[in-house]
Amino acid sequence: MDAVEKANAERQRRWVKDQKVGEGTYAVVYRGREASTGRKVAIKKIKVGQFKDGLDMSAIREVKYLRELHHQNIIELLDVFSSKTNLNLVLEFLDSDLEMIIKDRSLVFLPADIKSWMAMTFRGLEFCHRNFVLHRDLKPNNLLVASDGQLKIADFGLARDFADPGYKMTCQVITRWYRPPELLFGCRYYSSAVDIWSVGTIFAELMLRIPYLPGESDMDQLKTIFRALGTPTEEDWPGHTKLPDYIPVGQFPKTPLRDLFTAASADTLNLLSKCLIYEPRRRISAKEALFHPYFTALPYPTHPSKLPKCTTNASARALEEVDGNVEMNSTGPGVKVNNARLKRKLASPNDDSKTRSIARRLDFTKQTPQS
Amino acid sequence: MATRAKAGGWLQGKTVRKGGISSTNTRSNTPQIQSTSSTVFGGGVKDASGRTSEYFSMDDQCPVCKSDRYLNPKLRLLVSSCYHKMCESCIDRLFTLGPAPCPICNKVLRKLAFTPQTFEDLGVEKEVAIRRRIAKEFNKRREDFTDLRAYNDYLEEVEDITFNLIYEVDIPQTEARINAYRAQNAALIELNIQREEAYAQALKEQEEGDRREREMRAMELRREEEEEREEREKGRRDIIDKLETSDKDAAKVIAKSRANALKRSTARSTSTTVLQSNAKLLRSRAAQSTAIPDAPHIPLQDDWYAYEDKYIIGNSGYHDFMSEAVRRDREGIMRAGGYRVEEAWERALRSAVGALDLPPLSAPDSAHCMFSINS
Repeated sequence: MDAVEKANAERQRRWVKDQKVGEGTYAVVYRGREASTGRKVAIKKIKVGQFKDGLDMSAIREVKYLRELHHQNIIELLDVFSSKTNLNLVLEFLDSDLEMIIKDRSLVFLPADIKSWMAMTFRGLEFCHRNFVLHRDLKPNNLLVASDGQLKIADFGLARDFADPGYKMTCQVITRWYRPPELLFGCRYYSSAVDIWSVGTIFAELMLRIPYLPGESDMDQLKTIFRALGTPTEEDWPGHTKLPDYIPVGQFPKTPLRDLFTAASADTLNLLSKCLIYEPRRRISAKEALFHPYFTALPYPTHPSKLPKCTTNASARALEEVDGNVEMNSTGPGVKVNNARLKRKLASPNDDSKTRSIARRLDFTKQTPQS
Repeated sequence: MATRAKAGGWLQGKTVRKGGISSTNTRSNTPQIQSTSSTVFGGGVKDASGRTSEYFSMDDQCPVCKSDRYLNPKLRLLVSSCYHKMCESCIDRLFTLGPAPCPICNKVLRKLAFTPQTFEDLGVEKEVAIRRRIAKEFNKRREDFTDLRAYNDYLEEVEDITFNLIYEVDIPQTEARINAYRAQNAALIELNIQREEAYAQALKEQEEGDRREREMRAMELRREEEEEREEREKGRRDIIDKLETSDKDAAKVIAKSRANALKRSTARSTSTTVLQSNAKLLRSRAAQSTAIPDAPHIPLQDDWYAYEDKYIIGNSGYHDFMSEAVRRDREGIMRAGGYRVEEAWERALRSAVGALDLPPLSAPDSAHCMFSINS
């Protein structure tokens, strides 16, 4: 046994695998614990054998970025080891996600609760952006909540680092409802502003308790956005008509956000409108958002330990998943015990769930430099 | 004026906006107070809900023009900052042209410094105003002192200052003492004001939660009553129908439908308990919010950006071959998509200076040298 194998065996012994809690296209998630301390973890076993071109892209991305990002509001990758032909990621165990909390109608959100979640989201996102990492799949479903109430950004399967000048990135990222208009117009050069748009729609969703911009297809998504926020003019967003997939989708008037968010304070609407500015370069950055008066105004953000939590216990849900509600076309990463039937799917343009993993492999080729 | 004699009446809370309780009151109903002046007089002592209740009596008489409520039913007396009363028309007459001396004590007064009267006894009015002013700044709490002795000394001092202000003893020295205290404790005063606000906020939240819960309960109760009535009605109709159509024993039919009704009503009561537990949850949240205080927002929890002064991004950009494509982007496609070449430059520069802090700062000069890569 050589030194590498020995080290791997040692790592493997640190963790104990318990029952299975979910399965995706490229990974099986188990609940587990640290052998010495009994600390709960989630172990994601990545099936290597079935892909003829090696490891799935999102597994590589997840390991690559989570190894580097250590922050209170980002899911922690504790260890990586291999067993037989599989790769195992040991992640911290988080029992619920923001989507479950939004959907639980028995919970009442105070404005201070929403402020607290938004502050934690922006803090985690700011940490990604300062390290030049784009998340590219923010949605309530990927914001996990720990038992002490801390919110953590998970699922780095679509993340990438900021592109070098002139390098194209794929525009088929981010779940449709949270996708910014520049990606819908097929833009191949974008920046951290794409994540901010997603956070803006999540912010609105927290207030409305239903998805803010639920488009049924990519075309419909643009229409939904413009219906809610008005069709952008050349002045609002210089150059958007030159984007590769630009199509005029009709003229909609601008309606003030106040009409929909009747109970929100002026600071709240100000921050929301800055997250949903059409021109990406004028959209607020995560760092600027953290300094926005919304966060410093009264009421103070709720202490994480007091935030509303789902009351249903996790083990019951885990059983239910094993019973056959396992979603085979899950977006993959993100270790959560969520209700598979409610999950929002990341939609590729042909919108066929079976092509999901293929679409992602196509991403890989699209990302090579064009020049 | 017979204010002293009537102090007992005020203590029983009879005079506030209720008209005079004078024995010589010949009018049967209270005249509406209607201001004769166009100036809106603010201030006065506010109660918990923020309203000012104005003192008002049938015996009111303006000490300046001797006009009384009999001659002028709209008479409204206001109090000056030297605690002398006069009517609105006198105030208009004397002070409209600017500050003028008080006709009673000659202190220079301004029109806008008059406030509505809340208490019958002007001594009380003055004391309340002074105590409010003092309490705003002398807001230390027991927790701010190491021992009870120090706290008691502090309270003694506050009382001393208040007494001096009320009875106008050594005013200049007292004011100086207040100023000295304010200068010494500025931070603590601010902190205590914030604490007070947070407490008020928590109280408001709890009240709001309670109110919501009460509303929900009332709604549920109404709905239930409605349901029960409907059911009873239906049950009665059922019995009649059954008696009509079936040929079974009447007593048995009635007993059976009664049993059914009972079953339904127990099912209903269990659904109520679910709602109640929900309400309890809300209440426990409200209780919690006083137990663990919410901390104010801190934008960044680390000192990452403290290191930013190690490099400066050139104003005119960089003419490197890497970013040529972006700089040549005539259509503005990269701009419209939000791509920022500055971010790429920043990343390159940050990676370049990233290792400068290692090994630790034994020579501070070298660690702080500036990099500016301009072409």
